[in-house]
Amino acid sequence: MGYFVKILKAEMRKQHKNRFFGKSIYVSLFIWPMLTFITAYYSYKPFPLDKIVGGLGYINESNLIIFVLMGYMCLIFFRCFVQSAWFFSMERTYGTLELVYLTPANRLAFIMGNAVSSLFESIWLFMVFAIGVFILNASSFKIDMACAVLGITLLIVLSMLWGMLLNALFLFSRDSAFLFTVLEEPMEIFAGIKVPAVVFPVWAKAVSAVFPLTYIAEMLRRIFIRGDGFLQIRGFVIVSIFIGFIMLSVTTICLKLGEQYARKTGNMALF
Amino acid sequence: MLIAEHLSKTYETKDWNGFLKRKKTQIEAVKDVSLEMHKGQIIGLLGINGAGKTTTIKMLSTLLLPTKGHIDVDGLDGVKDSMTVKKRINMITGGERMIYWRLTARENLWYYGQLYDIDNKLLDERIQRLLDMVGLKEKQDIPVERFSKGMKQRLQIARGLINDPDYIFMDEPTLGLDASIAKELREYIRDLAFKRGKSILLTTHYINEVEELCEYVYVMDKGTVIVQGTPKALALMGMENKTLCIELHENHELLHAGLTEACMSIEKNCSIQWDSKNMTYTITSRRDLSETVTRVLLEHRASFRNFYHQEPSLEDAIIKLARRGY
Repeated sequence: MGYFVKILKAEMRKQHKNRFFGKSIYVSLFIWPMLTFITAYYSYKPFPLDKIVGGLGYINESNLIIFVLMGYMCLIFFRCFVQSAWFFSMERTYGTLELVYLTPANRLAFIMGNAVSSLFESIWLFMVFAIGVFILNASSFKIDMACAVLGITLLIVLSMLWGMLLNALFLFSRDSAFLFTVLEEPMEIFAGIKVPAVVFPVWAKAVSAVFPLTYIAEMLRRIFIRGDGFLQIRGFVIVSIFIGFIMLSVTTICLKLGEQYARKTGNMALF
Repeated sequence: MLIAEHLSKTYETKDWNGFLKRKKTQIEAVKDVSLEMHKGQIIGLLGINGAGKTTTIKMLSTLLLPTKGHIDVDGLDGVKDSMTVKKRINMITGGERMIYWRLTARENLWYYGQLYDIDNKLLDERIQRLLDMVGLKEKQDIPVERFSKGMKQRLQIARGLINDPDYIFMDEPTLGLDASIAKELREYIRDLAFKRGKSILLTTHYINEVEELCEYVYVMDKGTVIVQGTPKALALMGMENKTLCIELHENHELLHAGLTEACMSIEKNCSIQWDSKNMTYTITSRRDLSETVTRVLLEHRASFRNFYHQEPSLEDAIIKLARRGY
């Protein structure tokens, strides 16, 4: 366990030093999600919400900002990994992955270190902003604290597992640019961040079911805006744990297959 | 001791053959290679591009699974116990890849040290010792992207020693370096083996490196070891003809006819070349003609500055051995 944590910490430190060379990158990481958040918020603003939200009766004029911000906060947790996984795939092209394979280091700790590093570097500034907005709009909240802690824990764990899955997929994909295109924008559209997934047509709902972000964003909105308790969100919790388990399994299998394939064929690109 | 026995590696490639069919092709990159690495010894693995050197090194360093054969590293199975074997080996490659350019030299070494689970205090001491050894101690806090090619290569050597391996595989470590840095690196390599008892396997295209460093050489061609031995023995094995050089003090008009007649009478196909600028005869033959040539020189009272057999070159030998498939 100590060795696992050691690799995790080393990988986090390395990725931080390797990717965050100047402090200005933090500004860009804040401005970009801020702009998309503002765009989404003002896209809703001119419309009478009670007539367009259909089944989502909990959105109104006063909590719209919380609804959109909650969605974007969740999106940032998940989206930061698409870009970081794309960067991570360069470990293969630059040959450093081969040197990692030359060591007895735990491969899962290696990709987890990258995921944790990306998560904390990418979200903290936006989180500060989001918490500030939440405090200013505290009157819009009806929160069950236990559910809120559970929801945030699931957000962190699931997003990290998502990050590890993406790292494993990007690491062994010969066409990581394709994965980037397929996962980045569609996640924002189909996971119900701008427009709630419940108002989607059936085919779009099927697409949204693929992204773990869909369940997490909806669960947190219900906890923080509607004040749902454990009984109301238990379906989301079960689905989230199930998806988390699947993601961890696929990541482990992918890592094993990737290394086995590389040792068998000399080719690090699995698919 | 590292013993590799009958190593073979076959790759399978799949190419589209028509719209839906895929054709499988098998490529035998390495065939039945056996070699040994002893402590404090530098051995060379030579051959032209595509001979199978890198595939062999990757199998020995656990990065590739052999299709057939067995690797024993101090009693451990190179395939089944690969995670334990990884602690005892390391690989150093030529070129500027495989290091993190935005990290400093010290950070790069620290990162790899962590992956090998080295105690932090010991790691700090080792990093300083290695940086000192490769002459980068003063530059340890500068990002690698500001390093010259030679400095990056020296850092690669330090990285390859971070886990204090017993067996080091060096794949063209001096690739693209200028002569002075390459010489410096050769000195490090020699010290590693002779002073620190490391066992080194070296692949290179520079024959002078092999002649200078290696005690024993394996020559590969088309995936197999075609010949092995000490560099001197290999040079002699590849030498088909004997070359005799005579450097004269002055031109001797009658000597040419005398030499030609005497040498041709012993070996019809021998070659006698006269270089009037350097006043040198070069006589190439399958048989040793030195006695005959000496007799002719004495008969003609020819005065000469030098009389010697040309030393066989390892480079020529390897090309010849590879060409004739031994």
